[in-house]
Amino acid sequence: MRYLARRALWTVVALLGVSVLIFLLVRLLPGNIVDILAGTEGQLSREQRAAVLREFGLDRSVPVQYLLWMRGMLRGDLGWSFRSGQPVAELLASRLPITIELAVLTVLAVTLIGIPLGVLASVSRSIRVKTLVQIVGLLGLSLPSFWIAVLLIIAASHLFGWLPALIFVSPWSDPWVNLQQMFLPVLSLALGLSVVVVRMTRSSMLEVLGQDFIKVARAKGLSARAVLLRHALRNALIPIVTVLGLQMGYLLGGVVITEQIFGLPGLGWTLLNGVYQRDYPVVQATVMLFAVTFVLINLAVDLLYTYLDPRIRYE
Amino acid sequence: MSEARTAPEVVALPGVVAGRPARRARVIRALGRTPVALIGAATVAAVILVALAAPVLAPHDPVAQIAKPLLPPGREYLAGTDEFGRDELSRLIYGARVSLYVGVLAVLFALGVGGTTGVVAGFRGGWVDDTAMRAMDMLLSMPPLVLAIAITAVLGPSLTNVMLAIGIVYSPTFARVARGPTLAVVQRPYIEAARAIGAPGLVIVLRHVLPNVAAPILVQATVSLSTAILTEAALSFLGLGTQPPTASWGLMLSASRQYMLIDPWIAVLPGLAIAVSVLGFNLLGDGLRDVLDPQMPSQ
Repeated sequence: MRYLARRALWTVVALLGVSVLIFLLVRLLPGNIVDILAGTEGQLSREQRAAVLREFGLDRSVPVQYLLWMRGMLRGDLGWSFRSGQPVAELLASRLPITIELAVLTVLAVTLIGIPLGVLASVSRSIRVKTLVQIVGLLGLSLPSFWIAVLLIIAASHLFGWLPALIFVSPWSDPWVNLQQMFLPVLSLALGLSVVVVRMTRSSMLEVLGQDFIKVARAKGLSARAVLLRHALRNALIPIVTVLGLQMGYLLGGVVITEQIFGLPGLGWTLLNGVYQRDYPVVQATVMLFAVTFVLINLAVDLLYTYLDPRIRYE
Repeated sequence: MSEARTAPEVVALPGVVAGRPARRARVIRALGRTPVALIGAATVAAVILVALAAPVLAPHDPVAQIAKPLLPPGREYLAGTDEFGRDELSRLIYGARVSLYVGVLAVLFALGVGGTTGVVAGFRGGWVDDTAMRAMDMLLSMPPLVLAIAITAVLGPSLTNVMLAIGIVYSPTFARVARGPTLAVVQRPYIEAARAIGAPGLVIVLRHVLPNVAAPILVQATVSLSTAILTEAALSFLGLGTQPPTASWGLMLSASRQYMLIDPWIAVLPGLAIAVSVLGFNLLGDGLRDVLDPQMPSQ
């Protein structure tokens, strides 16, 4: 419990630090925010400038601005988009489910592809399988996911006459069409990640398989299948979960590019459009949301350890 | 006083004099026996060579519009031409320069900032360690690419800013890698001896700590080069990195998206160039890890 309390406290501190960092980063922007805003509306008089500054709270001192921003965030008020005038919280709430769907489907695909193949590869101890897994694993790390995405689009259009959809269909309105739309984006993200998981699963399984309790399990006549799945895999899972957790950063980054390529209007797409249009309230809030998600996932992975291995007791 | 300066050397002598050249030879021999590392080293060497000799190797000016657009690979233009009728092969060759330039400088930046932080944190311990490492952890609380996008959004898209952004993003990794071995070394009796003799902290760090941290840092730098090249390509792909007309692999891949269904070549080749160089650094890093630290599993 004490560990958990410390861990949770640190999570809050880290997020506070990140919020200061993001806030200062946006304040460092070249050029006055008023000029950026005015860029679309022509010249502003002195009074109008002052009015704009007041409206966005930019006439206050920097620490006060930060506190106001924090207060707003805690109340669920993330400000207004410079461009559309829409509340940022509303905008993000409509985009978040798309990114969550993409991420969850990808993790699912990675687990379903990676772990079974890794277990299969661990059964063989031949040097060829080892080298193959090592090389394919490195390939997975080396192929840019956006290139895989482009190749998949080319292949799908040549083979099946498929083209990226122009309009996103939510799973609530038509789950079948939605899954079809998600298939290639998920595949492009999952391919690279699953080879990493194959590699980790194999080495982790080999380590467990060499231990005494496996010999005992075999000696008492359990089937190879039971030994492999019930005794070995369960114990091999921890490093695999760690690697999956570590890859979440890569996945959340990959989501940004994948959404852009496939035109999925999720968080990454929102972030990039915010950046292109210099819509800073949107950028600020989206980056913060990415950080919160990332930190919470890491916390969840930590907690998962105790579930997977009851021997781990944090103090 | 002079004792203080000479004494630490005496403590370190057996390790330094007898160890270093012999160890280097052993490492090189071991590398030669690992085919994976060898292939990696050869690929990296080839990419560096192409980047350095780009003006000699490239058949055409990479930014000159000299032919019909979107020509397939042929005798005249070996890799075809891009959407502006520029020679694709020359652009691929010059692209190696951008990738390596950004990658190497970004990793050096991350190594300088992160490595120094890690060593100082581990050596000093106490509140210095806590503060420095917590600050680094905060940078780690954001997905790397998202942080890099945020930084380039603020600094503005350019080659230098991408380099800076990648350097900042990867600093915490180096801090962590450098801190571990430092912590382990600080406990050793010879550090205590050096301290007792009165050797200044800087001397102890340079002479006794750095050699122990060098191997993991070298492995990390090689692996980071591959991710730095990937990140540069990703940022350029998103229009936040290298700006046209400069030939950059990520930018070329991005531009090809509009034409990839008519001319798949201009989408396939830049991606292949990225993949091959990144793979080269990954293979080399993996091989180095096996050789330099037999205890560290190569995942």
